[in-house]
Amino acid sequence: MTATPAKTSRLWRISGMPRRGQISWFEVILLAGCIVWVAFNFAPALQDVVVLSFLFAGLALAWNIAGGCAGLISFGHAAFFGIGAYTSTILFQSYNVTPWLGVFVGAAAAAIAGAVLSLICARLKGPFFILSSLAFAEVVRIIALNWPSVTGGAEGLSIPPVPDLANMVLGSKTAYEVLTLVYLLLAYMITRWLEASRFGFYLFAIRDNDDAAAAAGINPLMVRSSAMALSAALTGVGGTLFAQYFLYLDPTYVISPELSFQFALLPAVGGLGTAVGPILGSFLITPLSELLRTNLGNAAAGLHLVIYSAGLIVVMLYFPSGIAGALEKLKLRRRRP
Amino acid sequence: MSALLQVQGVSRTFGPTRAVDNVSFAVQPGELLGLIGPNGAGKSTLFNLIAGVMPPSGGKIAVDGTDVTGWKSYDMARAGVARTFQIPKPYRQLSVIENVMISAFLRERSMGRARELADLTLSDLGLASYRDRPASELTVGLLKRLEVARALAMRPKLVLFDEIMAGLTPTEVGAMTEIVARLPARGITVIWVEHVLYAIMKTATRMVVINRGCVIAEGAPATVARDPAVVKAYLGEEMQLA
Repeated sequence: MTATPAKTSRLWRISGMPRRGQISWFEVILLAGCIVWVAFNFAPALQDVVVLSFLFAGLALAWNIAGGCAGLISFGHAAFFGIGAYTSTILFQSYNVTPWLGVFVGAAAAAIAGAVLSLICARLKGPFFILSSLAFAEVVRIIALNWPSVTGGAEGLSIPPVPDLANMVLGSKTAYEVLTLVYLLLAYMITRWLEASRFGFYLFAIRDNDDAAAAAGINPLMVRSSAMALSAALTGVGGTLFAQYFLYLDPTYVISPELSFQFALLPAVGGLGTAVGPILGSFLITPLSELLRTNLGNAAAGLHLVIYSAGLIVVMLYFPSGIAGALEKLKLRRRRP
Repeated sequence: MSALLQVQGVSRTFGPTRAVDNVSFAVQPGELLGLIGPNGAGKSTLFNLIAGVMPPSGGKIAVDGTDVTGWKSYDMARAGVARTFQIPKPYRQLSVIENVMISAFLRERSMGRARELADLTLSDLGLASYRDRPASELTVGLLKRLEVARALAMRPKLVLFDEIMAGLTPTEVGAMTEIVARLPARGITVIWVEHVLYAIMKTATRMVVINRGCVIAEGAPATVARDPAVVKAYLGEEMQLA
């Protein structure tokens, strides 16, 4: 009987979960490294990739709030991304509202869309929810394509490339690095706050068991739509940043299923439901896909997608809990006597 | 003395089947009411009606004089009615303490206070040593105890236990009986649905027996056990089994 505690504690250490709310040194170094990288302007040739990696890390964290924390796996987040991007851009072009304000309006519009989606799909779970989120994004895309008077239709919208801080059109790529890094850090802090708050615990509760959550006095529908609204709002912010960086928007890319899959994929590769996982996912996948596309895109059309997909299959097979989960296991194995 | 729970002519039909048929009973504060009946008697349905899982087809349910007919389960929880699940429904990816904290949030809104209440509840139920273990690693016996811990961390007025003894070893049944028996003294009224009869007969202050959706007997455990209608209901079941 006396041997039992030691045995169970070892078992706990192997299979244990990361202590919630505890920030590891690894994370601190990673984030400080990002700040240092931007401050000292390392590798100016890679600035495009860095901006995209930061932006997609923020978007992956945003998706993770719904998909990782609340278990609302959505393949329709490109809709929120597009709603954010289009709202701020239309406000700027037609009503001369600065994107610094438009970004909040876009986030609010995306939040409303997110809440509406989860209210409509209230009774749907698992694959049924995934399919309806996919359909939802398609509806938004088709509306954007067929409403040229507002969205510019298939031709899209362009923002005049005249650098002006007041209009969020920045003069240097370093400035965009700063902007997207602030976005990443904001999304990271929101995720950290969730892990240490009552609302965050409610998200975990409805992810793991709806009935038990309801029996504990939690209204699953309310929590689900709030989680979706928060995730959608943050995704909408990313949409505005994207529009301000590329200065061009069209429904075919901005509201595409590929983009929705990308949002879901990054946290899945990095580690679902964790704060550092989605960042790792983006830092690995975004440069990789850019690299493959620029180097192989012309030589053999589509080959970069094949390599990319093969890599993903390997990750999913061998690291089912993502990079963050694999690192955690490695750490525990080393600590084991 | 006003009843804590008043069930008045409650029915529930599923298509042509009347699972619960015009059931009435009342539970006074501080009671430990055993709700028993043979398989398929309608215990679980009645339980789910009181817990707010589904609305009754007819009749009225009141808690503390407030009509709660048709309230959802989260409304019932907020009204002070906690429940356990017959098949445990833990939050698998969370630790034991986090499982209990989510229930504790109902009364303690801050993280720190909820953690204190959860810790207190865990040591009450002898789960303190499993505090930081993932719920997915617990055995059935511990999961049942976690169910009870989660219900009690809600500081309920009334707690509904759904077969918390099923699947437990005799030692575990003894420990659990002790936990349940202590509750009325702490101001928690209990309705206990159980199939393992010897534990409930020993502990309950009053029994309600249902069969085919109707109340067939009501009273002290010893009286109920001798009631011919009860004996017949249970014997009938055994003969079907044989």
